Amino acid sequence: MFMTITSFQFLIFVSAGLVVYYLLPKSWQWVVLLGMSLIFYCAAARNHTIIYLVISALTAYVCTMWIDRIRKNGNGPAWAVTALTVAALAVNIILWFIFKGYEFWAFAVRDTDMELVAALGMGYYTLQILGYILDCAWEVVEPQKNPLKLFLFVCFFPQLTTGPISQYSQLETLYQKHKFQYLNVAHGAQRVLWGFFKKLVLAERVGIIVSGITADLSLYNGFYSWIAILLYPVQMYADFSGCMDIVIGVAEMFDIRLAENFRNPFFSRSSQEFWQRWHITLGAWAKGYVLYPLLKSKWMVKFSKSMRKKFGKTVGKFIATAAGMFVLWMVMGVWHGALRYIVGVSLWYWIILMLGELLSPVFQKAADKLGFRTESFSWHLFQSARTYLIYAVGAAFFSVGLRKGVVLLKQAAETAVGRVFNPWIFFDGSILNFGVTWGDIHLIAIAVLLLVIVGILSEKYGYARNWMDRQCLVFRWFTWIVLFLLVLIYGKYGPGYNAADFIYQGF
Amino acid sequence: MSREEVYERLNKVFQDVFDDETIEVNDDTTADDIDEWDSFEHINLVVAVEEEFAFKIPMGKVVTMKNVGEMVDIILQLGK
Repeated sequence: MFMTITSFQFLIFVSAGLVVYYLLPKSWQWVVLLGMSLIFYCAAARNHTIIYLVISALTAYVCTMWIDRIRKNGNGPAWAVTALTVAALAVNIILWFIFKGYEFWAFAVRDTDMELVAALGMGYYTLQILGYILDCAWEVVEPQKNPLKLFLFVCFFPQLTTGPISQYSQLETLYQKHKFQYLNVAHGAQRVLWGFFKKLVLAERVGIIVSGITADLSLYNGFYSWIAILLYPVQMYADFSGCMDIVIGVAEMFDIRLAENFRNPFFSRSSQEFWQRWHITLGAWAKGYVLYPLLKSKWMVKFSKSMRKKFGKTVGKFIATAAGMFVLWMVMGVWHGALRYIVGVSLWYWIILMLGELLSPVFQKAADKLGFRTESFSWHLFQSARTYLIYAVGAAFFSVGLRKGVVLLKQAAETAVGRVFNPWIFFDGSILNFGVTWGDIHLIAIAVLLLVIVGILSEKYGYARNWMDRQCLVFRWFTWIVLFLLVLIYGKYGPGYNAADFIYQGF
Repeated sequence: MSREEVYERLNKVFQDVFDDETIEVNDDTTADDIDEWDSFEHINLVVAVEEEFAFKIPMGKVVTMKNVGEMVDIILQLGK
């Protein structure tokens, strides 16, 4: 049984670690973090797979140090820096591809008994290492001279399994000295609790209904399909962002600030905005390390110029944008290691975003002519609902795969033409067949409402806690205790129940 | 080359890239101040600056530039 970050053992582990971390001399703190990361790895994954992390970190270390020496001595040939950078990148990408890109090459292998066990968090730490190598090559950061410190950057335990994907420059605080501050620990703990609530109370409950429906689509059609399609984004968000709350909260207790991965994505008014608020660190990574270098490459600059010359400025820019975005989305699709993501999310969103690019000036003009109040609350609400629906369609493929996704969407569409019409399932208790009670459904509604309230507060105050900290003591403690009890009583965990893995732990 | 001279030429580059004769930039101008300034225009801008001042902006700087002031610093350091 492996340790997960929603387990009781993990909480004990973190608490014990905190005591050691703040009691030992401050220059030892990074060693404590490294030790904890190694213990966590051994408790959470097959021990031997740590060798892949070591290989990745070591190639990055050796190549960046070598580059550094060439630069400082000024005696190596110019191509040596490029060659070393490419070599370091290649080793890491190939390792990743063997284990995580399995779906893309498995068809070529006959031996189905072959067992490949990837390292824990391989998708995440690989991106971090690639970013670090490029940062060193571009001289954005000084290479880390201590290999153990570099290794800590690779395997820092809270973020190892699910991100956020950090840049080296953001995580240099790992090696600094940290003073114990009550507020850091309190805020971190509050955030962990909120994450547990999202994951164990909301995501797991919604998951029961969604997987119940998608398990047998021939039995559950019509409005059942709508329920599955519309609820899956809730499950996904509560799961992934709840996990992020736990990760970021734990790191905060150690006075380490990790980058935010979500900023109320469902408040977005367009799909473009949605992707600036959803899995932010992956988007930022792809933009900084793939899109920018690609756009600035000689080939792309030439292409973009020739398009402008041929088709004029507006159309030329559109074509160049479309080409760049295509590559960006494909990279993100490949990273997810699944064809269903490439088609269901990458391709789908590429089309949507390009349509948006084409049509939004037209829409804006039409709205102005018709005297539409595009800044009104009702219009915002419509835009957010539209963005949600667009996401839900793509996510349907992601959740059940391509073939089933088509069936799911087709069945949902059938309600509109009246081929299957079963709206009574909302009222006659059919949903209870999946093993939830009315109480569960009420709880889901309350939890969603809470998420919306916290979302509004955080939009207004930066963090909901900024508002919370200003409230009176009784209210604050009352809220935390209620939340704690909700998790304790209604959380889906404990003997006889295994909290499912986080959806995003697989990457 | 003085800072003022850089700005004179830089304003032209901005006006050209964003197709807007009225744009005047200063040290504190950021991508938030110009509507059209997205990832793609950012690179177009970088390429246009490189051509105007006959030098290559290192990739690291392309990503980390925070405002026009930093861009001018780089131009003064490396540009012609």
